[in-house]
Amino acid sequence: MNMQTTSRLTAAETALVEAFAAQIGEFPGNGAVIGTRDRLLDDLKKGGLPTRRIESWHYTDLKSLLRQVPDVTPVAAVDPITALVDGSKIFSVVQGIADPKASADGIEVAVYKNKLTDGSAVADLAALGNDDAIGRINGSFVRDGFALTIPANIELEQPLELQVLHAGGQIHTRFPVSFGAASKATIIERHRAVTEGAALVSSISDIRLDDDAEVTWIIVQQQGAADTHLGQIRVKLGRKAKLRLFVVNAGGKLVRQELRIDVEGEGAELTLRGVNLLGGESHTDVTLMLGHNVPHTNSTETIRNVVFDRANGVFQGMIRVAPDAQKTDAKMACNTLLLSDDGGFSVKPELEIFADDVICGHGATVADIDSNHLFYLMARGVPENKARAMLVNAFVAEIVEEFEDEKLVEALESVISSWLERHA
Amino acid sequence: MPAVQETVEQVRRIDIDQYKYGFETVIEVDKAPKGLSEDIIRFISAKKQEPEWMLEWRLEAYRRWLTMEEPTWARVTYPKIDFNDIYYYAAPKNVTGPTSLEEVDPELLKTYEKLGIPLREQEILAGVQKTRVAVDAVFDSVSVVTTFKKELQQAGVIFMSISEAIREHPELIKKYLGSVVPASDNFYATLNSAVFTDGSFVFVPKGVRCPMELSTYFRINEKNTGQFERTLIIAEEGAYVSYLEGCTAPQRDENQLHAAVVELVALDDAEIKYSTVQNWFPGDAQGKGGIYNFVTKRGDCRGARSKISWTQVETGSAITWKYPSCILRGDDSRGEFYSIAVSNGHQQIDSGTKMIHLGKNTSSRIISKGISAGKSNNTYRGQVSIHRKAENARNFTNCDSLLIGDKCGAHTVPYIDVKNASAKIEHEATTSKISDDQKFYVMQRGIPEEEAIALIVNGFVKEVIQELPMEFAVEAQKLIGISLEGSVG
Repeated sequence: MNMQTTSRLTAAETALVEAFAAQIGEFPGNGAVIGTRDRLLDDLKKGGLPTRRIESWHYTDLKSLLRQVPDVTPVAAVDPITALVDGSKIFSVVQGIADPKASADGIEVAVYKNKLTDGSAVADLAALGNDDAIGRINGSFVRDGFALTIPANIELEQPLELQVLHAGGQIHTRFPVSFGAASKATIIERHRAVTEGAALVSSISDIRLDDDAEVTWIIVQQQGAADTHLGQIRVKLGRKAKLRLFVVNAGGKLVRQELRIDVEGEGAELTLRGVNLLGGESHTDVTLMLGHNVPHTNSTETIRNVVFDRANGVFQGMIRVAPDAQKTDAKMACNTLLLSDDGGFSVKPELEIFADDVICGHGATVADIDSNHLFYLMARGVPENKARAMLVNAFVAEIVEEFEDEKLVEALESVISSWLERHA
Repeated sequence: MPAVQETVEQVRRIDIDQYKYGFETVIEVDKAPKGLSEDIIRFISAKKQEPEWMLEWRLEAYRRWLTMEEPTWARVTYPKIDFNDIYYYAAPKNVTGPTSLEEVDPELLKTYEKLGIPLREQEILAGVQKTRVAVDAVFDSVSVVTTFKKELQQAGVIFMSISEAIREHPELIKKYLGSVVPASDNFYATLNSAVFTDGSFVFVPKGVRCPMELSTYFRINEKNTGQFERTLIIAEEGAYVSYLEGCTAPQRDENQLHAAVVELVALDDAEIKYSTVQNWFPGDAQGKGGIYNFVTKRGDCRGARSKISWTQVETGSAITWKYPSCILRGDDSRGEFYSIAVSNGHQQIDSGTKMIHLGKNTSSRIISKGISAGKSNNTYRGQVSIHRKAENARNFTNCDSLLIGDKCGAHTVPYIDVKNASAKIEHEATTSKISDDQKFYVMQRGIPEEEAIALIVNGFVKEVIQELPMEFAVEAQKLIGISLEGSVG
């Protein structure tokens, strides 16, 4: 599947090309990094932004949806905000620039800019194939981020918060994080607008779990109503590694979140939970590409979506089971509450299975609030709007409550309920 | 369960390389030269004694086709087709419209005999009129004999070849042809519009329940001849018709192209049931040969409370690219899709359905059962789309895949698009192999492994088999057994 060549660039494509040219002298990187950036931008220029003709972008025609790209603005003074979960260690990235003083006991921290400058980041910059527009954009423009290494057998008591704050403009960040064998950690990746100026954010988290590592990774996307968020998470799971990935989308105008996960060690386990809260005129696309590449691995995915107003949502969930990956157990569910006739939701839960001894399944539902449930509450004197709010809240809260950590549950619930209060 | 026993026996008896229907009837044929051009289209149109407007329609489609690109999105791979290396027209020579069996070339009758399948139709052809199935048999590209025509006429049902219909009922053809699948719809449908040579036409007038099940057996016979069928079925207000389509083709080395178009139109309160058993040559054990089956089938529930139901059993063809769809335009209309797709050897199937909900209170149901064995790949690709104004739409989709062997692939690609909050959509899919527990349970009752698997497979597809007309159901079970030969046990 190739991106078709386009001779004419759209306004957004032109803006990207021009922004690249304008910054070319400022991008951090050695010769190899600069060469890679040039190639990625060249691919982007030749291929253009993806259209719906490219299967993995079927429902998000980035070429037509991305109308404009904000100018690159100089670094504004933005104050850090309090951590989502009390006591978390904050690694702050303000307007695309990482705090060089950030550190935490027991882990190795490098500012990503330095890895670009010394060229050690060059291998990670490559795009993951022809449909990886986010990889191309981010690889061309990335300026900073954090590279974290959690050594083997280390258990982090408190969560680490990667706090990405912006006040409009362009922000391109990257977070390579590797978890040593049998390490345990909770990471919160938070993208948040602190002003109303439009922003284009691209961010890639490159996560590697060595054998027996146990990690909870939470993404909380709370960008502004005019923002574009192009997020990607690349995951490799080692033997008996356990990853719990939790994604909350509660903001942004045009959001694409790609979860590219490879299960590469026997006995590994993935738990993916997602809550997508969609309102206004936004378009939010969560795309999972999950490869079960070795035998004896498990995964479960549950995605809950709530659609208000004129919002459009997309969930694509591709599970690929490689030819030798026998005894794979993969279960996916995507449930959507469509609360508005002006909104829409599209689901494409895909199974691609090449091994025979597997149990794979997916379920998808789209519906309004069940009238029986509503009746039940209203018959007990709860007014309709309140009853509806309760049911919507219950629909998404259910999967948040799976966390054992109460502080975490509370923090996520407050993100969700404050969003619902503003939209319901 | 005698049917199961029979399946198992069939499986034992028949090897995939001994494709039962792989014989070739030697009859003189009247053939246009290879290749495609406006001249060939003029030749086809002239051979069919078509009116000028029909020729124009074809030529327009052809010109359109020249500007189109072959679709590549399906999960199938095959060497590039040289569209200029195909005969677009071949007709048995001796047909000047036989009215009785004596006039039919005995070679043809032998062919029917060899087909071996439920040929009640053959009895009919032989004059045994105890069953009541009307056959419009397509032998290569021309309808050879149409039975029961008179009786159908009494009911007011028109059942004839599309070529005849173009001559005899131009007003209906003009009104309906291309109204469901437009000539510009897709690459293969457009090609079909340009060069279609035959197919069936059914018209059931207002309030008439078609007195019998209509049936066509397609056969691709002439070497290297693409078969471009065009079928058009119209059920007027309150009418009902059930149509059966079944196919076998002789064994060949070269790949053969089949690009048919089927259009169904159901007006208010009408119901159309369309059943297919497809068992064309799937290619040999090395993946050589076999039919390319690129078909566009679409039904239009144009009237309120209309219903269209597709049932298919796909066991043959090297490559299948087929999505029988329903456009639920009328309020309270209903679409159904029941499918069994069995792939073995090197077969590639990319099949499914589209349910497009446009009207209010429309409902649809999709049951798809895919079975992959050998080195085959079997993809379900389906779309359920609820448009903005489709209040209270309802869909239930269930697609299950069964894997037999570790060299095959089973894939599920559903697309669900909902734009109305009152819709209720449920989709579920599973993929698994026959579990050891299931097998053990059956075998410990003294049933040998191969039979046990056949029994479990039959159970797996039962929901769809039930939807088939009785005679077809038996044949379908046999076919599934034959198709899975060599993959079980």
